[in-house]
Amino acid sequence: MQRQALRTWLFLAPAGAWFLCMLVLPLIVVFVYSFGERGAAGGYAPAFTFDNFLNLGSRWAAFKNTLILAPLGTLICLLIAYPLAYFLALKTSPRWRTVLLILVIVPFWTSILIRSYAWIYLLGGQGIPALLNALGLGNPRLINTPFAVLVGIVYGYLPLMVFPIYVALERLDKRLLEASSDLGSPPWRSFLQVTLPLSMPGVATGCMLVFILLMGEFLIPAMLGGGKVFFIGNALVDLFLQSRNWPFGSAVAVALVLVMLITVLAYMRFTRRWAGGRDDVSLM
Amino acid sequence: MESKLKPASEERDAPIAELRDASKHYGAVVAAEGLNLAIRRGEFLSFLGPSGCGKTTALRMLAGFESPTSGDILLDGQRVNDVPPHQRPVNMVFQHYALFPHLTVAQNIAYGLRQRRPRPPEDEISRAVERALETVRLPGFGPRRIWEMSGGQQQRVALARAIVNQPKLLLLDEPMAALDKKLRRDMQIELQTLQRQLGITFILVTHDQEEALSMSDRICIMRSGRIVQVGSPRELYDRPASRYVADFVGKSNFFPGTVTAVSAGRTELAAAGGHVIAGLAPVGIAAGQRASASLRPEQIALTRKPAGHALPVTVVNRIFLGEHTEYLVRNGDLGEFLVLVSRQAEASEGGFEPGDQAFASWSEGAALILEDD
Amino acid sequence: MTDRNDFISREKFMAELYRYKKGSVTRRHFLGVTGLGVATSVLGAAMPGLRSAARAQGSIGDRVVVASWPNYHDPANFEAFTAETGAAVDLNVFGSNEEMLAKLQAGGSGWDVFVPTNYTISTYVEEDLIEPLDLSKLPNYDPASFDARFAEAGTVNGVVYAVPRNWGTTGFVVNTSMLGDLPKPTTWKEFWDMTKAEFSGRTMVHDYQLTTIGNALKYFGYSFNSIDPKELADAERLLLEVKPHLFGINSDYQPSMRSGDAWMSIAWTGDGLQLHRDMPEIDYVLGKEGGELWSDFFAIPKGAPHRDAAYALINYLLTPEVNAKEVMFHGYPVADARVNAILPPEMLNDPIMYPAQELLDALEFGAAVTLTDPNRAELMARFKSA
Repeated sequence: MQRQALRTWLFLAPAGAWFLCMLVLPLIVVFVYSFGERGAAGGYAPAFTFDNFLNLGSRWAAFKNTLILAPLGTLICLLIAYPLAYFLALKTSPRWRTVLLILVIVPFWTSILIRSYAWIYLLGGQGIPALLNALGLGNPRLINTPFAVLVGIVYGYLPLMVFPIYVALERLDKRLLEASSDLGSPPWRSFLQVTLPLSMPGVATGCMLVFILLMGEFLIPAMLGGGKVFFIGNALVDLFLQSRNWPFGSAVAVALVLVMLITVLAYMRFTRRWAGGRDDVSLM
Repeated sequence: MESKLKPASEERDAPIAELRDASKHYGAVVAAEGLNLAIRRGEFLSFLGPSGCGKTTALRMLAGFESPTSGDILLDGQRVNDVPPHQRPVNMVFQHYALFPHLTVAQNIAYGLRQRRPRPPEDEISRAVERALETVRLPGFGPRRIWEMSGGQQQRVALARAIVNQPKLLLLDEPMAALDKKLRRDMQIELQTLQRQLGITFILVTHDQEEALSMSDRICIMRSGRIVQVGSPRELYDRPASRYVADFVGKSNFFPGTVTAVSAGRTELAAAGGHVIAGLAPVGIAAGQRASASLRPEQIALTRKPAGHALPVTVVNRIFLGEHTEYLVRNGDLGEFLVLVSRQAEASEGGFEPGDQAFASWSEGAALILEDD
Repeated sequence: MTDRNDFISREKFMAELYRYKKGSVTRRHFLGVTGLGVATSVLGAAMPGLRSAARAQGSIGDRVVVASWPNYHDPANFEAFTAETGAAVDLNVFGSNEEMLAKLQAGGSGWDVFVPTNYTISTYVEEDLIEPLDLSKLPNYDPASFDARFAEAGTVNGVVYAVPRNWGTTGFVVNTSMLGDLPKPTTWKEFWDMTKAEFSGRTMVHDYQLTTIGNALKYFGYSFNSIDPKELADAERLLLEVKPHLFGINSDYQPSMRSGDAWMSIAWTGDGLQLHRDMPEIDYVLGKEGGELWSDFFAIPKGAPHRDAAYALINYLLTPEVNAKEVMFHGYPVADARVNAILPPEMLNDPIMYPAQELLDALEFGAAVTLTDPNRAELMARFKSA
């Protein structure tokens, strides 16, 4: 028995050490730093002050941008990913499914940096706007706008949304749809009453993945927003790498971690509710 | 066998469902071919056959999950080939129950009622659900989650979910396949009782002949997409139309040979070693053709002394079955076959041990001469 | 104009991608923008063949790690160095001096050579992040042949910490074909005023506090290096007023200038030269009020793991013939008379590389205080997140 406990311990040790060194300790450092002062030439100087937290308001615009565009981006991803995943999981022959799934992943083989560059050209004045102009549909400014950032977000994060939903739908017992139909439900109501609720864990996972990553996103806004669409991730990069105000950066990071934590907790409550006792569900 | 047809009215005599020359092909694969069957109102009918025989296809055509490639499906005299499942007054108990995991027991049972338009009032629905739960002997289980229920309980929920809709046909697709033997036996009895009580037409698909024999009013035996024989369990047992049916329904010994004489009420077959076995034959058997004589083990008597047409045999093995003992015996010409001896008969003859010499006999003309297939 | 119409051709697009792959999009800041700062172009390390070759002088070790700027080194020179010494060059390109400083402050950089800009060196000395140079190990460095203006920042308190690499200016590029009837802007005042009016939505500024704030200060005639709160407040007001009219805040302005999306941008010498060479309608302008004059240096950080290799590489790159090849590659002028003596005359006469003296006279070197002043850093951050 003792031997087994020891073995379990040894198995868990690498993961535990990783968790401790790569997550817990850095978080403690960030937390401690957030009460410090900026050093004379930047960096960190020990102190105990709440100034950094009181100054969080100066990054309100970045928080606001992130808290609007991250959920919006997540929602658009969801609205595009769900039909795509549905089509892949339920309406495609197995042979085509493999091909199409690979096509969903293929863009990931290239760096997001290069793909964002492609979008800079596509959304730039000589790209899609020029095409629209040639078609007489006006010449809208796309690049360096929130729209361009959303395009980049949806483009970059779509697969992360597609896969959890695909897996949930693929695992869905197709006989449940037959049962629903057998019990008198037309296909669209079967979708709402069976397919959709049973794919909710996949939807929640996908939304969580995309949302959490978007909260920390900085590359896409920097490249497609041209510095005019500013996320909290960009504020962090600036604070650590440009102004080197590590304590304030740490305070922003702590605030970001808190926002994410709240989101994850909400997510867990939500999924638990789907998994367990829903007495009062409306069935159309 | 008396049928359980309900008291006559002109409408009630018409079949509740019919397969008319119904075929289902998937490309070159034939799942069902030329099925003709009239299902009587209120009967308990089983489709019996090995897997791939077309019985599930027949059931799914009745449910509406498959539409026939050719031929017609009728419900209450109406052609329903193109009516989708959700518009058919038919409900199914699925093989693995297909209960909705995200809903409670009560919500599962209420599902069908809630699809009705106009939607029945909630109190009516909950009363119907409660009644259905009582019918399947699960009162008070409504708020439970599906995964909190045992396999047997899930089966009852699936049943309740179907019967609460009072369907014209209740289709059961191997509903007991996942239950252990004891539970299966209990459930069979319960289903049979329930069917009598509700008066709903039950159509069961099974590969278990014992299940089909014990529960059904009629059995439709299928093979390779075709119906081989339809009849009451007794008819099928006593008058199988082919060696296949005889083999599938109950146990039988088959002695192959050549038909030597055919006359009304008596057909003779010359088996190995020149043994002549006489019996009844279905129409169409002709002298000179290859066939088999079928004798049920319980039709054969085992004695220590020869009596009339007795075959000398050696006892090879013995299986004690309680009320009966099953002997495997060997004859030099006819090979090994089974004999079922009742406790009573054994009492007079004494038990046989492997290696014992004995004589097997049967009453003249008791055999069935069946075409090989 | 004609050049621009085919910019999106496949060849050009691939060339742009290739430019990125080389880690050479613009001199500074591309990586600062992306925040990566670690996009590493590994030259020697990726070529094991080179590493094993010429190990004869293996005493300096097998590698040297360099932190520098994109599009600032001729790979052929690194290859030649590796062939000669056996030390492979591991090049890390950076986006800004701030980022370079942040990395050294954080510690464990592993760099052997880095390329700081003039105004940052005293801070590195104060922070004890930089090694005094042993000039006896740099025989190719000849102080006498260097223009003192561009060399003196390397000496702090009489100790030589850094030797000069290149120098340049910070002005702006303007696409003259978009001017219409407007006269070509020649001042920072015109730059900002045009941005608010005729060029609204078409101007870019650097994602870099020194140049963006510095040139906003020039609008009011203040010093490029001002840290006076009142003057900075004026600059902030201007920047916030201008922000809605900007095309972007991005130090990677070449693609947008080339595509025609942006018509004007704060720019450095080398980018101005490259843009003008490919698209003659794009001019490089030094604001009459002044602006930045800068020079970059070679230096060795404290605790460099391969110090011998670091000296060997710096010495090698200061060889006049090698340095000349570098200049031809990136187009930034050099302060070494020995190098200028062997450069082609048309390069020495290029007005972008070597602006007229009266324009140069108005320029200021960046001041050390701008690097560390918390108010300038915070002003820039507020401007960006506004």
